[in-house]
Amino acid sequence: MTAPPTTKAPVPEARTPFYRNVKVLAWAFQVTVFFVVLAFLLWLWSNYLTNTANSGIPTNFDFLSNPASFAIPGAEFDSNESVRNAYVIGLMNTIRISIVGIILATILGTLIGIGRLSKNWIVRKLSTVYVEAIRNTPLLVIMTFTFLGVVLQVMPTIEEAWNLGFIIVSNRGIGVPWYSEVSGAALFAVVALAFVGWWAVAKWRHGVSERTGELARVGLYGGLTFLLIWIVGWWLIGPTFTLPMIDGRQLEGGIRIDPSYFSVLIALVIYTASQIAEIVRGSIQAVPVGQGEAASALALSGFQRMSLIVLPQAMRIAIPPLGNQYLNLIKNSSLGAAFAYFELTNVTQITVGNGSPAVPAFFLALVFYVALSFITSAFVNLANRRFKLVER
Amino acid sequence: MKTKKLLVVLTALMLVLAACSSDDGSDTTEGGTDATEAPSGGGDGGSLLAEVMDRGELKCGTRDALTGFAVLTADGDHVGFDSDFCRAIAAALLGDAEAVDHVDLETSDRFTALQSGQIDVLVRNTTWTASRDGSEGATFLATTFYDGQGMMVSADSGFAGIEDMDGVIVCVAKGTTTEGNAAATADRLGLEWEVRPFDDNDLIQEAFGAGQCDGWSADFGALVGIRGDQPDGPESVLLLPEVFSKEPLGPAVLDGNDELAQAVNWVVFATIQAEEWGITTANVDDFLDSEDSNIRKFLGATFTDGDGNETTLDAGLGLPADFAYQVIKQVGNYGEIFDRHLTPLGLERGVNALWFDGGLLYAPPYR
Repeated sequence: MTAPPTTKAPVPEARTPFYRNVKVLAWAFQVTVFFVVLAFLLWLWSNYLTNTANSGIPTNFDFLSNPASFAIPGAEFDSNESVRNAYVIGLMNTIRISIVGIILATILGTLIGIGRLSKNWIVRKLSTVYVEAIRNTPLLVIMTFTFLGVVLQVMPTIEEAWNLGFIIVSNRGIGVPWYSEVSGAALFAVVALAFVGWWAVAKWRHGVSERTGELARVGLYGGLTFLLIWIVGWWLIGPTFTLPMIDGRQLEGGIRIDPSYFSVLIALVIYTASQIAEIVRGSIQAVPVGQGEAASALALSGFQRMSLIVLPQAMRIAIPPLGNQYLNLIKNSSLGAAFAYFELTNVTQITVGNGSPAVPAFFLALVFYVALSFITSAFVNLANRRFKLVER
Repeated sequence: MKTKKLLVVLTALMLVLAACSSDDGSDTTEGGTDATEAPSGGGDGGSLLAEVMDRGELKCGTRDALTGFAVLTADGDHVGFDSDFCRAIAAALLGDAEAVDHVDLETSDRFTALQSGQIDVLVRNTTWTASRDGSEGATFLATTFYDGQGMMVSADSGFAGIEDMDGVIVCVAKGTTTEGNAAATADRLGLEWEVRPFDDNDLIQEAFGAGQCDGWSADFGALVGIRGDQPDGPESVLLLPEVFSKEPLGPAVLDGNDELAQAVNWVVFATIQAEEWGITTANVDDFLDSEDSNIRKFLGATFTDGDGNETTLDAGLGLPADFAYQVIKQVGNYGEIFDRHLTPLGLERGVNALWFDGGLLYAPPYR
């Protein structure tokens, strides 16, 4: 019950000298590191400027206005267009193969990942063999195999092309039917509208099911609505579909899938799918076992257990490593440069070989790749934030 | 308090230090061989030539698989027309034709290798163009081989000339004048060509052999060598008669290395001049005491000058006086080099003959 002693005497401030003061030292260290790094970068920069000045190599971006002096097949690009436009086409091609590659690799990878956990022995073994074989093979080797082996050797020459009616396969391209004389955007909009219709019908049917207790049958109603909107929409727009044909040595009509694009895409999908399969398998196994057991206790079928309970929780876990694989795919697409696919790295190499200064040209390519990676990881982070477990 | 004051003082000190280092950094316009430890590209004329001579080895940029021009054999030797010119330059600068480091380069990074100093001289069947002189920072030297672009097709393709090739796929090497010329030629003739570029001749061979490419376009000299290497034999392909561009092939050094540039120039001229006089590896020793004092000056032998003194000619190129003798003795004259590598492929001298035989090879006088 005694109050603690108080005193009115002044307490001297404890002052550690600056060379022992932790706060000062921390700051001093950071400032030193910053300036050391800055000095190093400035030294590299001055090095580069001196050497290029001595040999007369320009260090600016004026080369972008020069004529490209090479043509890009498949794009409306002849040799008089500017280097800038070549870069744009290269970037578009990189984006194109990345998006398609990501979608296909995710689908294939998820299926194989689930396959590795299957109760069916042969499915399990095949999936394991696939993953172990492909995962341990360098991507360049896979791509060389798809290009030299699959495209050049297996696919026939144009004279002996496999004509499957609406698809023609040859080693200089795969012809598929395509629309013409209509805007692709309109056709795409109809398909998007069909998806919206499916979603709207799904909501309606869920509401009906809640109120009346009858089966929602979303698949039936939604599927029918989807098909209805798609068919009617496209019939109204009236696109003409042209089938591919062989005309001399070329594939006329329809659209031609470039053999380099095909081989690079297949290689990217195969390789990335093997990585994604492992990620998906790991995340499925990370979902608590009790979830699966509870699903069985509720008399859900195996398919329902996987698709309604386990997989949604697994994908939440899988999102960050999946994002990593997507970034890898985007950067791995640069290997297409060795196989005549006109993506960004290839275009950069060609313009440098034709006289553009190397450092600014590759710096520009670097900036584009970094931008693509940032955008992709922004989307992945968005998905992650949206789906992650909210913890206290 | 005191901590904050100390932090301010520290930051001020750091800023002063950074300002000092920035001064060194912005010193870009002077010769600057101290501030920059760049491998070469010295900037002041003679330093690369002197550096090569000090080093005792010439770094020559070349390739490993172009029949006739540069092939890496199983013994690890580079054999070919361009390889012999690398040896000639080494024989002149260093007195030893084998003191060469043949650096194999891909087509797409031959110029960056030159710019970065990885190689001293590029002797890799490279075409002399204005933009390479300019923005690639290369200095091209005397042309060793006047070539043109040709087209190779399969013998059973039915093409008799370039004009027949409409709606075809043409495969070329990436980042070469071939690529640009193919596109320009197609535009000019109103033909539709899809030009597919590959980094490596091996890939083009695969694509051509599998029927993906209707035509393989490259320099005519290179195509002659490639024809000889075809897996189904030279009769399975056809070289179309049209030659549709000018491709003067010669060595190149980096801009700013004037003395090395001149030295390489005069090595090439020496091989041409020797052929003009009929000097070969076999008989060069006999020419050392020739009656013609021009020949003796050329070979670095002694001659009697105007005052009656015995002297040798030093043209001030920075080369040893007997450089031409070493080149001829160790490698040979132009005709010998050509006959050794290109004549067996079936290439005629054509425009690569001496000027008095109707060709373009003309050496300025050595005096």
